[in-house]
Amino acid sequence: MEVISKEQFQPAQKTTSAEAIVRPSLNYWADAWRRLRKNKLAMAGLSILIILSLFAIFAPLFSSQHYATQHLKQVNMKPSGEYFFGTDKFGRDMWVRVWWGTRISLFIGLVAAALDLVVGVLYGGISAYFGGKVDAFMQRFIEIIYSIPYLLMAILLIMVLGSGVTSIILAYAITGWVTMARLVRGQMLVLKEQEFVLAARSLGAKPWRIILKHLIPNVLGVVVVQITFVVPTAIFVESFLSFIGLGIKPPLASLGNLLSDGATNMRYQPHTLLFPTMVFSLILLSFNLLGDGLRDALDPKMRK
Amino acid sequence: MLTYTLRRLLYMLITLWIIVTVTFFLMKLLPGDPFGDAITRLPPESMAILKAQYGLDNPVWEQYLKYIGHVAQGDLGVSYQYPTRSVVSVIKTAMPASIELGIESMIIAIIVGLILGIVAALKHNKAGDYTASMIALIGISIPSFVIGPLLSYFVGVKLRLLPPGLWLGPEYRVLPAVALSLSTIAILTRMMRASMLDVMNQDYIKTAKSKGLSTANIVDKHMIRNAILPVVTILGPIAVNVLTGTLVVERIFSVPGLGNQFVTSVYSNDYTMITGLTLFYAGVLVVMMFFTDIAYSFIDPRIRLGKGK
Amino acid sequence: MSTPILEVNNLQVSFKMFAGEVQAVRGVSFTLNKGEVLAIVGESGCGKSVTAQTIMRLVPTPPSYIKGGTAVFDGKHEITTMKESEMQKIRGEEMGMIFQDPMTSLNPTMTVGEQIVEGIRKHQGGSRLKARNRAIELLSMVGMSNPAERLRQYPHQLSGGMRQRVMIAIALACNPKLLIADEPTTALDVTIQAQIMELLQQIQEQTGTSIILITHDLGVVAEMAHRIIVMYAGKVVEEGNVNEIFYDSKHPYTWGLLRSVPRLDSDAHSELASIPGTPPDLFAPPKGCAFAARCPYAMEVCLNKDPEHFRVSDSHSAACWLLHPDAPKVERPVEVGGRTHG
Repeated sequence: MEVISKEQFQPAQKTTSAEAIVRPSLNYWADAWRRLRKNKLAMAGLSILIILSLFAIFAPLFSSQHYATQHLKQVNMKPSGEYFFGTDKFGRDMWVRVWWGTRISLFIGLVAAALDLVVGVLYGGISAYFGGKVDAFMQRFIEIIYSIPYLLMAILLIMVLGSGVTSIILAYAITGWVTMARLVRGQMLVLKEQEFVLAARSLGAKPWRIILKHLIPNVLGVVVVQITFVVPTAIFVESFLSFIGLGIKPPLASLGNLLSDGATNMRYQPHTLLFPTMVFSLILLSFNLLGDGLRDALDPKMRK
Repeated sequence: MLTYTLRRLLYMLITLWIIVTVTFFLMKLLPGDPFGDAITRLPPESMAILKAQYGLDNPVWEQYLKYIGHVAQGDLGVSYQYPTRSVVSVIKTAMPASIELGIESMIIAIIVGLILGIVAALKHNKAGDYTASMIALIGISIPSFVIGPLLSYFVGVKLRLLPPGLWLGPEYRVLPAVALSLSTIAILTRMMRASMLDVMNQDYIKTAKSKGLSTANIVDKHMIRNAILPVVTILGPIAVNVLTGTLVVERIFSVPGLGNQFVTSVYSNDYTMITGLTLFYAGVLVVMMFFTDIAYSFIDPRIRLGKGK
Repeated sequence: MSTPILEVNNLQVSFKMFAGEVQAVRGVSFTLNKGEVLAIVGESGCGKSVTAQTIMRLVPTPPSYIKGGTAVFDGKHEITTMKESEMQKIRGEEMGMIFQDPMTSLNPTMTVGEQIVEGIRKHQGGSRLKARNRAIELLSMVGMSNPAERLRQYPHQLSGGMRQRVMIAIALACNPKLLIADEPTTALDVTIQAQIMELLQQIQEQTGTSIILITHDLGVVAEMAHRIIVMYAGKVVEEGNVNEIFYDSKHPYTWGLLRSVPRLDSDAHSELASIPGTPPDLFAPPKGCAFAARCPYAMEVCLNKDPEHFRVSDSHSAACWLLHPDAPKVERPVEVGGRTHG
């Protein structure tokens, strides 16, 4: 056996505490962000979305063209140095129209998601917080709304309101909040039973304070993930409505009406379909990738 | 189990009632005259007769009760587009094509979607997973009204493999059914993959493994059987997806179905036709959701036999 | 001369996480003889379950992998390098496993009968009827009334204790030579715990199978185990037969564990002790003794060098520098069986 000096058998000078934590402790969001950054697909989605948004904001600003200006001598032009994405059958610049359409579609998606968020979180939160009869009643109501096919209701609503950005957003939001409310309620019910809420309550905190200060921050994870799925759904709904003639009306551009026009003229003017489709699909794809990544990153079970 | 069914049945009826009510009042709110532009040129006397015929002079609540009565008897009014035909008769003519298309695309979607989902989960984080997930993402990202025309043009017109449109022989079914199934495939693949991954981490899979069962046996009897249960619950939403898809796909492939009819009605502002079709669709879906729920409670022994202690 | 059924030598198992490698098992060696009951005791996260599941190769790979060492089963099977298809022949047939939580270890959508029968039919073939009869026999062996009726029930219709009995029946289906029970009573009520332990002991006496019993509760194993291994932070810190561990243990960690077991003969006023601190992060294990940071007797050497096993008797050894001839003499604390002075 190897010789060990006698001094080694003196009681140890403990410099490090037994409780010392080896790993740096990260808070929930920092940890989630760290995991999200490792997810290449999600980061690709995020980057694409940022780039597309920048184009949607700035491309129409820096172009000499307007989305509605018709150049009747330059109809159906192929992409060129002058018209990056070519022109449509009225000689309108597709480059400006596509980015303008992206702007409108993203706007619809984001506002719809925001409405969804407010209504869904409030509804789900109230339902879960009060529980009992209130919850039972509110859940029955949700079950009924949930089984109403929302696209059909949206169609009826738009026929009443007339087509336009506001009606499309309203038509989506009027039924879209249900999933959000369900998710929030489910998550809240789990959290409600946990000690920190009990502690806050026993300290006499008011219900609203508990909901706002304690529950909502903890529910945010589920909500963020859901939003990344709501935005593309709303954009999709707009394009669907455009296809059946209830979407944004030309000359205003949206990805939906560009796609629907492009699909009609596809055989002879493929470029009018190609560019809107690329942008549309990239937006949907990116949101889905980002959403999947966020779900993995925010899932506490994945915290290792 | 019986109370569960009855409760579901009650919800279904309430839902239908709400849909009818909402539809009625939205119709009342429709801009301008419900008869649209087509008959505004009629002399006032004829208008009065028409209004009386449709009961538009009575108080709203009376019209509402009458409307509910009509709907309950399966009378959805007369189409403005084809003044000689009732909405119901139009539905009857157009329904078979839609049902067939819907069922065919559902079958394709279920088979392909489940297989892709299972493969993706079993090959988690490997090439198979990425391929299946990519197919699913494409199905979600590219709308059917882009894929439809592309399929019709390339397969139908350029390659001449299949007819690019219309609804005649069996070969006319393929392209619309495939175009319609893509987004459903995507939903099912993602759902099945998530469900499989969840089941794979369950303790009972370890138990099954500890018995020495072969991998194939575990996948088949323990994983897929359990993973498929939650997928059944989204059959309702999937039906919605297929149904709204028919609006687009039937239009693109000129299938003489309900969806095509619906879009035509929107273009020609045929309000009774639109509300009638909406009610019909809503009714079909609500009834389907009801049966999905009941079916689910039958296949899951935990619900069928009641929760344990 | 007893023959070994399982010889584990310097087994190392790690998990590859994206943050790095977690060394869950860091060189575990032990031998299990035929007909012997060996208890592996330690806190949660000490690597005892990973060790047990590695013996059956049930730890999913990736993220886990066997980093080194050997585990020879029945003198002929080298488990660490076996192919999955070969493992499938041994699992269930020659070794069976009972898991911690009977609520989640049974497939909720299959009847109890199907779940017992499938293992029997896989290994012994034979008709459905024969397998069914064997299942009935097993269920009555584990003390379930109306076994024929139970076969048709689903897990959610049974109580926790009943489900654990079903799990035992599944594990015993093919008369395995080795039964691994991974915290078989942790998830159960105290009264049921005693029944299940009694059942396991009775089965051991009837069938003479070897058992590895994994638990964090020394109190559970006192009656049943022949030998005990104490694990800490992925290593064996002390090994001995029941008497040696309970009455002559040498490792301060074992003392801590013993102090946390309620005893009938202890002073009514004494409190149940706990071991202060938490186990080290196996993500970055300390270079010295893993227990040093929590050890009241820690010496300089403990922080710098990992102790070897010091032999106390033929069957008893402990990995602690206190056993080194140069170390100061430390008396075992009274409450864990140390002599009282006077």
